Amino acid sequence: MNNQPSSRKLLTWFNPLGRNPGAWAFILNRLTGLGLTFYLFLHLIVLGRLAQGPQAYEEFLELTKSPLVKLGELLVIGAVIYHALNGLRVVLTSFGLGIRQQTQMFYLSVLLALVGTLVFAIRMFAG
Amino acid sequence: MNNPPSFQYPTGPRPGETAWLWLVKIVTGPLLVLILALHLTVNHYLGSAHSGLMTYDDIVAYFRNPLIPAIEILFVITVVTHSLVGLRGIVLDLNPPRSVLRLINWGFGLFGLLTIGYGIWLALVIASKST
Repeated sequence: MNNQPSSRKLLTWFNPLGRNPGAWAFILNRLTGLGLTFYLFLHLIVLGRLAQGPQAYEEFLELTKSPLVKLGELLVIGAVIYHALNGLRVVLTSFGLGIRQQTQMFYLSVLLALVGTLVFAIRMFAG
Repeated sequence: MNNPPSFQYPTGPRPGETAWLWLVKIVTGPLLVLILALHLTVNHYLGSAHSGLMTYDDIVAYFRNPLIPAIEILFVITVVTHSLVGLRGIVLDLNPPRSVLRLINWGFGLFGLLTIGYGIWLALVIASKST
């Protein structure tokens, strides 16, 4: 995988062999980006219930109590934290900042995403 | 599928991505982090009920502050722009023909405008319920 476009590139995302941390950071960024884009449009559609009045919205709130929905929300939280932190890392390195520390910053992004997801999981399921 | 060759994280505009679009992605990203932090804190941490989500009355009361619809509209514009520019970057990986890419540009542009329009309409409808 390099910076040149290729129709085979998408398949190489799913090849776990011979990866370096930069490749994992890139793949995770793409996958979380796709997931968050899907969630964004779903979120906007669901919020349309606010325009329909209190009853329609309260019905949606009942749905959010389902463990499956909560699990989905946790995935969104983890994806948001990772995508945001990795994005900031990319912005910094794009302007020549922190290039030597970029691998450590990637690991830190993953670690903080995991810790953040765990904190929210405890709050959601035990709170 | 062979082992991928040595990988270098792309940090500048991708082939097929103009410097302007790359700049939009780079500027909207950090801006989103700030707005999203505010959005998540207010909507899901300060919310009164239902697994951290605000009730209908909470939201209507929250939108009484005229600053809130403005922030939410800014959020919709930023997040939709960032997501569609990012999605276009992924499409570029598939190396689409120029005619298909032109169609995608128009399609994403139109879809983005419609989504932003819907988001603005929704924010204004909720704000109007507060008055």
